[in-house]
Amino acid sequence: MNNPHHLNPTSLKSRFTTRFLRALTKIRAQKPISSSSPTEIFRRYRRIKVAADKSMAYSVRSRRIWSRAMLWKLRSRSYRRQDPCSGRRSGKTNQAIMKKSSNENTTTRREDGVGFVEEADELRQLVPGGETMNLCNLLDETAHYIKCLTTQLFSPIGKG
Amino acid sequence: MNRALAETLTVLDRQRARVKWQQESCFSELSGVFSNQTSTHVHGFQGDLISDESVLDDLVMTRQVKPDPHLETSWPELGKVDMAGMGFGPCGYSNGPSFDMNYAISRTFSCPPAVAATIAKEATEVKGKESIVSENMGSAVARESSKKRKADKLHNLKVAADDDSKKTKACGEEGEESKITRPPNTNKSSTKQEPSADTSKENSKLTEVRREKISERMKYLQDLVPGCNKITGKAGMLDEIINYVQSLQRQVEFLSMKLAAVNPRLDFDIDNLFAKDVFPPCITNFPTVGISSEMANPSYLHFNPVQQVVACSGVEMGLNSPDIALRRTISAPESTILDASFLDTSCFTQIQPSPTWDVELQNVYNVAFEHGRSTTPFPSQPFAAAGSIEASHLKMEM
Repeated sequence: MNNPHHLNPTSLKSRFTTRFLRALTKIRAQKPISSSSPTEIFRRYRRIKVAADKSMAYSVRSRRIWSRAMLWKLRSRSYRRQDPCSGRRSGKTNQAIMKKSSNENTTTRREDGVGFVEEADELRQLVPGGETMNLCNLLDETAHYIKCLTTQLFSPIGKG
Repeated sequence: MNRALAETLTVLDRQRARVKWQQESCFSELSGVFSNQTSTHVHGFQGDLISDESVLDDLVMTRQVKPDPHLETSWPELGKVDMAGMGFGPCGYSNGPSFDMNYAISRTFSCPPAVAATIAKEATEVKGKESIVSENMGSAVARESSKKRKADKLHNLKVAADDDSKKTKACGEEGEESKITRPPNTNKSSTKQEPSADTSKENSKLTEVRREKISERMKYLQDLVPGCNKITGKAGMLDEIINYVQSLQRQVEFLSMKLAAVNPRLDFDIDNLFAKDVFPPCITNFPTVGISSEMANPSYLHFNPVQQVVACSGVEMGLNSPDIALRRTISAPESTILDASFLDTSCFTQIQPSPTWDVELQNVYNVAFEHGRSTTPFPSQPFAAAGSIEASHLKMEM
């Protein structure tokens, strides 16, 4: 039974697919889909979205800046949810950091000498973890991020 | 004050131990890292430890570093300590415990500026060639050390400096400045201070190198993003890329919504799943066509209005998401009639729009609208409006 389309089991696609499938089955096992109230569906949608992000980030591990940023975001969110006290603490420090970083970013415009500041900033908002990259790395990360997004979309889990 | 000093000493000990362990374990990796992708890794750990991204960011970028605000606030310096120290170690594998350590350490407010000096040296070694930055750091370090000098701190600094000085390449500036303030125990080479002419030359060289890298990457992105061959100029390219990333993200959101609403058969085994890859299921034809129609738009003049419409329809999707998901999935069976034309188009993002599918698209939208009205009590005005506007735009362009 040679399947000519059988992909390399260690490819990004297969890694993402297996992880995402696992997550999906877990989500479905928790709540049967018979409940079709919009709030239920919305809640499930959020969890599936998080699961997709998570499985993609875990498939890429820490090899990329955006995956690390995404993993950090996910982890901090889950920590905050688990322990509200620690969440408050980290929230405070996070706010202080974010405020400071936003101040500094606004005062010192990122001039790499190439001059695509507005578009680059917009791109930075799109790509997770992009605020910390210079244009060179940002383009690198964007390329890999696009590649992973298309993998997600064209994975065989009925997504494409 | 003494207690604070003791605290900082323990911090330094920990720091030293960590650095030593990291040196042993990762030194070869380090040398590889620093030769090729210095900025990537440093920035990578900034992505991780977003605690002080801005501070180290300022360090590493060729921007005007402001040493004075950094001087006043002590704990960002300490954050720098963590950044550089932790950054070279496990190279990003296990980040869980490191975060706690960082947060714990960063809460000790009394930061020895001398420690910051050490770590400043480490950090500047990363960007050894960017002499402007290191020069500024050198002056900052000198100012710091001249302002607050404690014998114990100096001693620790010496020891730490001995550890780290072996790695520092661009420690010349620091060595020069530190000679003024510290005893000459540091085994650094005393290089001359670089005059401003050299730095400007280096700066221009660096920007040139940067420009080359950036154009290289833009070319690669041009291959990735469909329909970018016609666009010349970096700004337009960047806009294209931004639109593409946005549309991909929205597509992912939409499809996960669809997964939430519909219950696909998850009992495939992987082989079957990958076999189906060649012929994607027809249910997804409709959404991918609907969204990729904007991407494959041949006339980019109309791109922005269509995109705005997509944006607002996306927002509305967020509001009425379950409703729309239901509507679209209900309309999916209707679209099976149109499979033949859609199968070609939906598999790929590079689409040659066939002359007939805009009409069919409008039909499908109308069908969806009808279904929406009949099945759900939700007001379908926004969705219908967006849908019809989209369809009419597409018609105009065809």
